[in-house]
Amino acid sequence: MLIIGQKFSYISSILIIFDYDGLNNNQSALSGAMYNSLRQLPNTPIYDPKTPTGYNIFTQGTSSVVGPWKNNAIIANGISNIVYVLNNNMYTSNLTRFIGDVYAGVKITDWLKYRAQFGADNSITDGRLYWNKVHGDGFASGGIVEGNNLNMLRYNIQNMLTFDKAFGSHNLLLTLVQEFQHQRSNYIFGGGSGLADDYFGQGGPITNSYTVQTSGGSITESALASYIARFNYNFAKKYFLQASVRRDGLSQLPYANRWGTFPGVSVGWTVSNENFMQSIRPTLSDLKLRASYAKVGNTDIGNYPFMSLYGNARYGDATGLALIQGGNPDLKWETSVKYDYGVDFGFFNNRLTLSADYFINDQNDIILDRPVSPLLGIPNNNIRQNIGASKNSGIEFSANTDIIKKSDLVWNVGANVSFVKNEVTALVDGSDILYNIDSNRQQVGIIRIGESIRSLYGFEYWGVNPANGNPVYFKADGSLVQQDAMTGAYTTFNASNPGAAGSAASLVAADKKILGNTIPKYFGAFNTSVKYKNFDLGALVRFSGGNKILNLTRRDLLGMDFTNNSTEILNRWQSPSNPGDGWTPRVIAARSAYINMDGIATSRFVEDGSFVKIDNITLGYSLPKDLVQSIGMSQFRIFTTVQNAFIFTKYTGIDPELEINGVDFNTVPRQRTLSVGLNASF
Amino acid sequence: MKKYSFKLNSKLKNIAFGLGYLVIALSSTSCSDDRLDLQPYNSIQEETIFSSPALIEQAVMGMYNAAQRGDYAGAGRGYPFGAAYHQQNDMRGEDMVNTATFYQATYMSAINGSATLNNVYYWLDTYRLINRANLLIEGIDKAVTKGLVTAAATNRFKGEALFFRAISHFELLKHFSRPYQLTGSELYDFGVPYMTKGSTDLQTALANSDVDRETVSASYVKVLADLDAAEAALPSKGTSTVYRIWKDAAIAYKTIVKLHKRDWAGVIAEANKLDGKFSIEADPNTPWANNAGNKESIFSIQNTATNNPTVNGALASMNRGRLLIAISPVIWNNQMWKADDKRRGSDMVYSPTAGATANRKYTNKYKDDVNRTDASPIVRYAEVLLNRAEAKARLGDPTYLADLNAVRNRSLANVSTQAYTASTFTTMADQVNAIVTEKRIEFIGEGKRWGDIHRLINDDLVPTTGIPQKFKNGVPLATNYNPGTPYVFGAGDIAAIPYTDRRFLWPIPDVEVNANPKLKAQQNKGW
Repeated sequence: MLIIGQKFSYISSILIIFDYDGLNNNQSALSGAMYNSLRQLPNTPIYDPKTPTGYNIFTQGTSSVVGPWKNNAIIANGISNIVYVLNNNMYTSNLTRFIGDVYAGVKITDWLKYRAQFGADNSITDGRLYWNKVHGDGFASGGIVEGNNLNMLRYNIQNMLTFDKAFGSHNLLLTLVQEFQHQRSNYIFGGGSGLADDYFGQGGPITNSYTVQTSGGSITESALASYIARFNYNFAKKYFLQASVRRDGLSQLPYANRWGTFPGVSVGWTVSNENFMQSIRPTLSDLKLRASYAKVGNTDIGNYPFMSLYGNARYGDATGLALIQGGNPDLKWETSVKYDYGVDFGFFNNRLTLSADYFINDQNDIILDRPVSPLLGIPNNNIRQNIGASKNSGIEFSANTDIIKKSDLVWNVGANVSFVKNEVTALVDGSDILYNIDSNRQQVGIIRIGESIRSLYGFEYWGVNPANGNPVYFKADGSLVQQDAMTGAYTTFNASNPGAAGSAASLVAADKKILGNTIPKYFGAFNTSVKYKNFDLGALVRFSGGNKILNLTRRDLLGMDFTNNSTEILNRWQSPSNPGDGWTPRVIAARSAYINMDGIATSRFVEDGSFVKIDNITLGYSLPKDLVQSIGMSQFRIFTTVQNAFIFTKYTGIDPELEINGVDFNTVPRQRTLSVGLNASF
Repeated sequence: MKKYSFKLNSKLKNIAFGLGYLVIALSSTSCSDDRLDLQPYNSIQEETIFSSPALIEQAVMGMYNAAQRGDYAGAGRGYPFGAAYHQQNDMRGEDMVNTATFYQATYMSAINGSATLNNVYYWLDTYRLINRANLLIEGIDKAVTKGLVTAAATNRFKGEALFFRAISHFELLKHFSRPYQLTGSELYDFGVPYMTKGSTDLQTALANSDVDRETVSASYVKVLADLDAAEAALPSKGTSTVYRIWKDAAIAYKTIVKLHKRDWAGVIAEANKLDGKFSIEADPNTPWANNAGNKESIFSIQNTATNNPTVNGALASMNRGRLLIAISPVIWNNQMWKADDKRRGSDMVYSPTAGATANRKYTNKYKDDVNRTDASPIVRYAEVLLNRAEAKARLGDPTYLADLNAVRNRSLANVSTQAYTASTFTTMADQVNAIVTEKRIEFIGEGKRWGDIHRLINDDLVPTTGIPQKFKNGVPLATNYNPGTPYVFGAGDIAAIPYTDRRFLWPIPDVEVNANPKLKAQQNKGW
């Protein structure tokens, strides 16, 4: 007879409200915080009491830029006065987020449980934007104002059946799960340009205060359905076996390829629990061997990546429809197969623990945008495809120990390090795929079989021709070619006779080389904490290395138009008798394309990305227990923390960690923060 | 007994609760297969687009959108025909000056295949427009076969698509291929890949990518074939809007293409078809003050306050608002342009009164730099007349003068004393020179100069030798502008580049040759 036992249920929820005052961090926007401030001329002031705004601004016609002050020319590229923009533009958003979970279940027997669970995560972001009418990106349109609302809802339903029984020393646990997950993003915005007065911009769109109306919205959604079976078995807590299989259907894949099967298995042997190990237990308190295999699928592939879609394309004021996405009806699951072999050690009652792992992670059918010939006129000249496979393999070590363990003094030290190698193992057609950034303006990397994914790719730089200041590059055959800084023409270069005119030459795509890998080959951390009486002190040090970074921020600070340069320009070639550092060519106005090879990566700007960071130092003091308890609390601690404290690196940019896929392009650095806080428990 | 039944009741309640919950939970997720068939909200799947006349009209608008705005790294800057046509063609010539860095790469011919996006996107966005035209033609054909629409109702749209396809390929020929007349020259005889099939997904893309550049004459044949087919399919303009393509636009463009082919009789025959359909306005400013209603414009691209090539592309923004393109002293000082010509007046030329750009000359044809609503002119009747004038002059026909004067006299301050007469020019070279110079003066800021430079390389009468010598990059001095005193080139000005230099033709962009090995083998000489 079926006896229904106890019910159980659970509801939890979190509500987060967060106000964010932001910046325009677009990498190429004229008022982008980093882009703009790096380029400001060093000899012009921020303020000018003689202008109507009080800021150093020069306005003429539909052009408003930072003023030239005593210079004879106006700053290039229409760069605005960033302080005015920061003080008068508005980018705010208000985030309200609700995360909730409810589950209820039944204990059918004491070894069989059923549970149903429903979870929801709803975040609503309400934003207001105002690009000031007087100066900055909003000037040419008479001010741009916008209010927007983004509502993201994700919900998740699960049905779980758990079978948990022990037969003697055999412990069995079987879980069956049926799950459905759905997310939807609902976006709407309204606003316009041509404001009546700057006054009406501060509050976001105000009815009837602007002449040109714009509005719009968008909805996207995706869903995942899963069926999962998990089986756990252990014998006397010495031998462990876990196996699982799941079948997932993803809305973002075409009907024929929608479902994928993903198995996994792992085994473990806690050797230290064996009888023959008990004698050395005090020394070797823990020894475990483990191995695992798992196949998983990637669901983060865009919302409708396989469809050919027509979207809105207006002509004049009439609506229109045109192809906006080229589809791929053969798109299928991107999967990742992971193997892991590891061993854990514990010594002296686990006062010292060590572990080591060897892992292999094969990614198959990687989904990426693959360039197609622009002759075909496919939107963005890209189609999502399963382009190939890559392999990551490596070794990880970690250790942790309490060096001192006394009643009033504890000192704990831990460290871990990983060594990883990444290699592309297959590509569709076997042909290289080039990786470009900044809307294809910069060709920086390559995906090629046998190399690390997205390795830097471009021309290898030799140096500066000491006779005339031209930059010199290597061709594929090792010969040297110089590029005329004035005309861009290539001629041969002979290092032993630099003044010779040289014959016509070329530097073409076939001369490009792999300039370095962007994925670190090793990384890890070192942490330590000391607790002495009521004080605690902790530090976290991270390190990483073996990767290269393409420093385009540095390249743009050597640009040849009328904007700021870094001090590196002081070492340029000036004449045969003053050749500078041999690495920075001569300057000629408006010739960045020829002097810095804008748009193509060169080894001149490839730098080592290794670093050691003291990331977190915390010092805390807890009030004595009896004092705290007399006030009715169980703990009261004050602490101070420095984050992002120190970096040791040879990288010349601001922060070697802020590269995106190995490229540093006007990225916004992390700040060093000092915070003070308190913990109180009641 | 009572106790037992109470317990049983609570047990039953539990069973009921548990099973009920199970049923609800399972049934709400069991049909997960349709739950996974999610259709997009923001866009329509390709299968439904060409299924009704209304939707086909929407696709036509989508094609015009590609001509009007394009996609320049995510922004619509008027590539190819909304603004780039005018700006890039003029920046390659010597009659307009680039005053800052915006068009410097094109102006100084400092191009490479990847970083100078002006020419990269010229290629990309022109082929983007061509694909939309091809998809429209194929979609209409399929819909007619299925009986969803009639051929009579949709032929006109096919004509519009054929026109765009022809002028797009012709535009690419002007920048990426050798001039038609330079057969057997050191420049390679490569035309441009002539795309006649649409691509919508990976399978059609792979099927259509096996094309090569063929020869220049083969490309010209196809351009003219498309324009002939467009002429046959399109109705006459009459009083219909100038913002759509009509039969007259196809005919007018044929005068241009045949001029490049040096088919003088062909130019005259085509131009004659437009007699009486258009006329030259009395005031040279009328086409600019009245984009939609003037009698001269044959086809212009429409721009509106909420849909235009933006502050970074719109003609009014670049010429008048941001003052990034100035009229060059080279043409301003040309002696054949009378000092009191109405085209120097303040309604056609903008000259700031104060500040760093005071008294410099900028074109005022595009007047709305706040809302950027000026139309982008593609072809107007004055060009047809000047084309016919040149063809007639080269055939020794003295009636060329009527056409030349029709365009020129309305701009003269004093027609009786300043007009050309039969005795003004005695040699054919002088006559053609007068016509070509008049075109330079009349079409300042309209993107016509480069076409003439390209087609006149090594001409027998008025040869050009390559990219001409130009005024230096930057804002000219007010003192550089002296009507009647020819500008003398000096230090700092940009030297002429012979047509044998690799920079005369633009390189096929890296993004194309990297994806297309066939074109990589057919790259332009020296690139």
